[in-house]
Amino acid sequence: MCPAEPLAAVPSDAALIAAWQGGDQQAAAQLVRRHAQALARFLAGAGAPEADLDDVVQEAFVRAFRALAKFRGQCQFRTWLFTIGGNVLKDARRRAQRVRVVPLGEELRARDGDPYERAVAGEAEQRLEEGLGRLPRLQREVFLLRAQQGLEYEEIAVALGTTPGAARVHYHHAVKRLKEFMQ
Amino acid sequence: MKHDDADLNDAMLRDLAQRLGTRAAEQLDVDRTTEAVLRRLRAPSRGAARWPIGIAPAWLRTAAVAVALVGAGLAVRSDVLRRPRGVAVVEPPTGELNDLSPDQLRAVLEVVEQPAGESATVSTQDTGLEDLSAPQLRALLASLEG
Repeated sequence: MCPAEPLAAVPSDAALIAAWQGGDQQAAAQLVRRHAQALARFLAGAGAPEADLDDVVQEAFVRAFRALAKFRGQCQFRTWLFTIGGNVLKDARRRAQRVRVVPLGEELRARDGDPYERAVAGEAEQRLEEGLGRLPRLQREVFLLRAQQGLEYEEIAVALGTTPGAARVHYHHAVKRLKEFMQ
Repeated sequence: MKHDDADLNDAMLRDLAQRLGTRAAEQLDVDRTTEAVLRRLRAPSRGAARWPIGIAPAWLRTAAVAVALVGAGLAVRSDVLRRPRGVAVVEPPTGELNDLSPDQLRAVLEVVEQPAGESATVSTQDTGLEDLSAPQLRALLASLEG
């Protein structure tokens, strides 16, 4: 019987962070590849316009790498990245309020997939997006971190600088308001 | 992930939330994003050249305050130096009274005889002279002219 080939070791986020801090640019590239889609999903859920999603994701990574000295591993790197992404999105919204933007009509927005499926699946999703847009930022982020990303309240609390009990309360308020809005 | 009873009642909402943003995230070109992030990290920070006034670094704000203070100080100083001097100053002799010539003494006497409030002033360096009254000085002058 042949000895099993050892699995290629997958470096942890902490190892990649240390490598990046030691000057290894490929470590940064690996971190971006590992977390970019999850970050994009979180930001899209939080209301980032599709057209700006790439820019917001890039900016979040750049800010995160420049602030890595402040990251003490108190929560997962990905969760910390989400909170930075939330700040980037907030700044982008503030800037957008200063610049008048004429939105595209629904019929002009680029959409992929089968129109019927999209209509059925997309309607509830669109209502949820609208509902999330009406929530206070903290409730929205707690809801997304919990319901979309599947994080525990303890992890959410550390990332958002609150307590697990408060995070739980925010989540339940968010759910209540979203259900009211969607019904 | 553990869910309590309240969470279980919200399964539909959670399912929707888990789908949220999926399509947009799938359209993200991760390789292109990675390249762009690395390019930006290699480039020097643009922040240094673009400080809005409100978020300028503390040292820059301190330097600006220091420059403003120095400028204000110079302005006040130059104003003081340019102030017109309408006050005549008589420099009386500073040596012993006996060393003065008659002309010098006469000049001193004229100054002493002027009423207070006129523009002439006498330096306080000539100790002794200010103690003499006008008649005393006149007598002294007469004795010197002899």
